[in-house]
Amino acid sequence: MKRTHHRLAALGSITLIITLLLTACGAAATEVPPDQLTGTLTVLDWAGYDAPDFWTDFQTTYPKVTVNFEIGASDADIYTKMKAGDQADIFHPYTGWLQFYVDEGLVEEIDTSKLKNWDKVPEEFKKIGQINGKQYFIPWDWGFTSILYRTDKVPEGVNSWAALLDPKFKGHISMWDDGPGAVTVSSYIHGYDETAVTAEQLAAIKEEWTQQRDSNLFYWAGEPELVDGMVNGDIWVAYAWQGAYATLLGQGVPVAYANPKEGRNSWVGVYGIRKGTASMDLALKFLDAKLATATGNNVVNLFYYGHSNQEVMNGITDETLKQAFSIGDPSILSKTNFTPNLTAEQRDAWTAMWAEVKAAP
Amino acid sequence: MFDRRATFWALSLPPLLWLGVLFVIPLLLMAAFSTRAESGGELLRLWAPSLKHYDDLFTTGTYWRLLRLSALIALVIAAMATVMAYPLAYFLAFRAGRRAGFYLVLLLVPFWTSYLLRVMALKLMLGSNGVINAFLIYASLITEPLTLFLYNRAAVVITLIYVWIPFAALPILAALQRIDLSLFEAAADLGATPFRQFWRVTLPLSLPGVLAAFFMVFIPTVGEYVTPLLVGGSQGLMYGNIIQDFFTKAANWPLGSALSMIMLLSTLLLVAIAVRLVDLRKLIE
Repeated sequence: MKRTHHRLAALGSITLIITLLLTACGAAATEVPPDQLTGTLTVLDWAGYDAPDFWTDFQTTYPKVTVNFEIGASDADIYTKMKAGDQADIFHPYTGWLQFYVDEGLVEEIDTSKLKNWDKVPEEFKKIGQINGKQYFIPWDWGFTSILYRTDKVPEGVNSWAALLDPKFKGHISMWDDGPGAVTVSSYIHGYDETAVTAEQLAAIKEEWTQQRDSNLFYWAGEPELVDGMVNGDIWVAYAWQGAYATLLGQGVPVAYANPKEGRNSWVGVYGIRKGTASMDLALKFLDAKLATATGNNVVNLFYYGHSNQEVMNGITDETLKQAFSIGDPSILSKTNFTPNLTAEQRDAWTAMWAEVKAAP
Repeated sequence: MFDRRATFWALSLPPLLWLGVLFVIPLLLMAAFSTRAESGGELLRLWAPSLKHYDDLFTTGTYWRLLRLSALIALVIAAMATVMAYPLAYFLAFRAGRRAGFYLVLLLVPFWTSYLLRVMALKLMLGSNGVINAFLIYASLITEPLTLFLYNRAAVVITLIYVWIPFAALPILAALQRIDLSLFEAAADLGATPFRQFWRVTLPLSLPGVLAAFFMVFIPTVGEYVTPLLVGGSQGLMYGNIIQDFFTKAANWPLGSALSMIMLLSTLLLVAIAVRLVDLRKLIE
């Protein structure tokens, strides 16, 4: 009995040694195949973006890598988390909030030569991720902001951002709960230079939105809240992203997405890699997979947003989506204003302005 | 067998540690943060203390007005919730008899579901497509849904009173249960009417519980932000919402900290004055 035990143990050790030797040789000879690659990545993203549909290419290529998600509620929330020392390897800010990450040394420059899908991203989008001449961010999702309205309640239609401040819609307006967003709308209406709003202009904007509050039913923080209000007929006119528009179209709610005479607003979501991450290689693989076609198609088909991979956008055939992106209108992009990057002073002044609007008598 | 001193420390160290690490230190950090002029740079570096934010807040009257209003709202809510909780507690203590335990469980059932869920359920009642409006339209009392139930200050007050009633009933119940029943017999023997008996015996003896209930509702309600966010709309916001905005939407922790410190100190001051006025110690003795 005891003897067999010894023999088994010896046999076990030999097998173990041989296996170890073989693995060592294998590793030395070639790189680990993608489906054998292990490791852990943490992504700080918005609610919903943690769904496997939005990183399906990475999951199928690297099934053994564990991806953990942390959820941020807004751009400010993601920024404050990163600033407070969040250890996420990858994070997802939007245009307007990019400069701070560079100024505060929170983001690593990206070596785009490691990204196989980088060539499929148009030049205009690449530029959005460049700060101080360096590629710190990878553009990923994009969309419009405009005025969304119920065509049955507002049969005359909406042709200006001023509709959001029009007392004739009293009790049926919903503005996004965001100071910089309010400054943008006022700048479009009055023709202010959004990048150089003066103190007097800001005071006028504050006054304007304080008046608006009497007509505003609620400020929406998340898209589902807005969609709900439009569906049940409480909200007729709202500041909205096209995701809400596409959702409502899909539900058969009579809505239209305005082409205001001042132009639509447009935003782009980007991914950045935390400075000092221990998983640079994996993070780059993740971002490359984020740009791949299957993931991009899901962004378009499930969230109704645009994707930075041009091949994905060229492949859209669905009529609802074509309408949502105004794909049939060749002049739409020239009528669009991209959200500029905020400075720290603008951020503090504009968010304080908004807090005073909300606190006003 | 056990050293009394060792037992004392063994029992009080865990809660002290908990409160120290998760309450006292964050509070001190917040106080320190409120004196930081710039929000940029390393989080834990040293900075020259400045009262810039307090200065800004004192010159911006808007926030003060909202703080006063929030305190007033909290006062109304605390008073209403306490008044409505009293009969509940009275019933449980003296009238429910053998079923008291069962009724108490019924009272506590709402706490088994999440707070968010209860407020969302209330939205289904009050909304323009909600149960109340649907009923009024069905009864032909109105033709268009009324919007006055939701997205305003009244909705916040209604919701918070509802949320607090069961909480407020608990300290009152505890106070009522402590009353010696023979006191009632004595009062009756001396010819007191039931009302007089309540006014002269029951109510005074239960006052410590009533005050506990009142402050238990008042203090957290001053800084409430979830309920106004869900049912308050653009006109029903409270001071707590502004604090939350500075932390989550404005990424301006120093200003948010200064706003929080002002609320903390004002609430403490209000409570201190109230305690002084009603002479709490005498009541408890």
